[in-house]
Amino acid sequence: MGPRDFEVLEHPADIGFRAFGGTLPDLFAHSALAMLSIAADPGAVQPKGEYPLAVESGDRESLLVDWLNEVLYWFDGKRVAFRDFRVTQFRETAIEAVGVGEPRDAARHGARLIVKAVTYHQLKIERRGELWVAEVYLDI
Amino acid sequence: MRTDVMVYASEALMAQIRKDLSLEQAMNVATLPGIVGSSLAMPDIHQGYGFPIGGVAAMDCGEGVVSPGGVGFDINCGVRLVRTTLEEGAVRPQLRELVEQIFRDVPCGVGGAGFVKIGARDLDRVLVEGARWMVKNGFGEQRDADFSEAGGALEGADPAAVSERARERGLPQLGTLGSGNHFLEVQYVEEVHDETAARAYGIFRGQVVVLIHSGSRGLGHQVCTDYVSVMNQSMGKHHISLPDRQLACGPIRSEEGERYLAAMCAAANFAWANRQAILHFLRGAFQRIFGGGARLDLVYDVCHNIAKRERYEVEGRRREVLVHRKGATRAFPAGHREIPADYRAVGQPVFIPGSMGTASWVLAGCEGAVRETFGSVCHGAGRLLSRTAARKGRNAREERDKLEERGILVRSETRDGILEELPEAYKNVDEVIEVVHNAGLARKVARLRPMGVIKG
Repeated sequence: MGPRDFEVLEHPADIGFRAFGGTLPDLFAHSALAMLSIAADPGAVQPKGEYPLAVESGDRESLLVDWLNEVLYWFDGKRVAFRDFRVTQFRETAIEAVGVGEPRDAARHGARLIVKAVTYHQLKIERRGELWVAEVYLDI
Repeated sequence: MRTDVMVYASEALMAQIRKDLSLEQAMNVATLPGIVGSSLAMPDIHQGYGFPIGGVAAMDCGEGVVSPGGVGFDINCGVRLVRTTLEEGAVRPQLRELVEQIFRDVPCGVGGAGFVKIGARDLDRVLVEGARWMVKNGFGEQRDADFSEAGGALEGADPAAVSERARERGLPQLGTLGSGNHFLEVQYVEEVHDETAARAYGIFRGQVVVLIHSGSRGLGHQVCTDYVSVMNQSMGKHHISLPDRQLACGPIRSEEGERYLAAMCAAANFAWANRQAILHFLRGAFQRIFGGGARLDLVYDVCHNIAKRERYEVEGRRREVLVHRKGATRAFPAGHREIPADYRAVGQPVFIPGSMGTASWVLAGCEGAVRETFGSVCHGAGRLLSRTAARKGRNAREERDKLEERGILVRSETRDGILEELPEAYKNVDEVIEVVHNAGLARKVARLRPMGVIKG
């Protein structure tokens, strides 16, 4: 997770992020880490376990929203904290990945904001020069 | 656009409203199929997702649509006001102990689970019975459920329409406040503007009250997420095209629409159960500090993220509509049969939380709301600054000390919880209240001042 992998965006009531990636799989992995860094500190998570994640959707934009919702469900529902994602399969409408992390521990992983959901508000995935860029807003 | 947008605001508030996308979002709502009357914007309107926050839209129950985004991710986010038998002078010397006790007894749930331990089968009953189930199972008094909007449980809930994922997220979070703008505030009644209504609500000057702002937690968030996806996939089938995917909707009379509404009612009931559990733990905290002499009674509980079937006179005929209130509060006038008998002579109590450093308001619903806004008013002050702008150049400890100098103790589970919700981040709540008061939608009853704030 590097400083140019993502940045936080402003919204009057909530929060968003702009993520970057050399490839679409990288973009999706960095987007998930951007969201998790708004909720806690992924850097403090130990790579103790591997969790398989798979999502299919209708198009690229909804795939990103559904992928982030999948990660959020693991974080908030299954209570697993991630520090990294390895994307193993990727096409426009489907993603398979391995999440690296461990069961959540608020004392070690920190707790910032509760992310309620991922929205379609001003959602963007575009190519800028050598980079893929995604903009996503979260409800908090 | 199928209809116009009607904004309730002052000149000063309009200038602030124009700074974000809220008016554009209110215009997008005006394109939804089956919209009846205007797309309405309350004076606390600000930019949301799809629908603006502080928006009201009524849909024809026959030809209209229901939009999960028009209710929001936090289904039945709402506020309940609790009155105590204590006065400010008696609480102030023990305020720090009280705030610490509440902070221990009412978890925010940012990092962990709540204290309500129930099983999967119990959750099914909670989804149907809402606050009533909590009361029956030792988390409160019968009167609590009677003094909640819809009696603390909406009819039409179907637990089978709620996904396993929503249950998994929600179950450990029952009885927790949440983060963001959710809070629990110990306040005192600073001004009474309408003695008759205040007396009916059991409120008097100098009295300590508690305002609880929370919703349906992970369960409601997941229900909305699930059904935004369902609606997005089925819009083609129903020949609906929209300017913003977050507005995703389906006909009220469709399988998708009916299932969403059944799940929404279940999530709303979960929210009432959640606020009921919080009230129960709050009573315990007061008892530990002040002994058995302190009594806490619920004044009322209102929701501000919901879609409800209600009947109104529109263009000379009585119609059943589905009123989407996204950051808007129901405000029924005196005489309405859905108000508890004790309040029927004065109108439904409406609670408008301001920011943690300013004030909150108790209002009473008026006839104007039924005539003009499908029985709705605003729900808060409305944000002015983004979270990042609110944090910029500020230090949490300094800001907490500044609030303390003004007699307001703040306890937050996270550092950002204080900075992002500072008074400067919000519009002036008094100005918002002036608008709804002068427009005849609701009238001022009492102004409440914060003393102690518990936040996620």
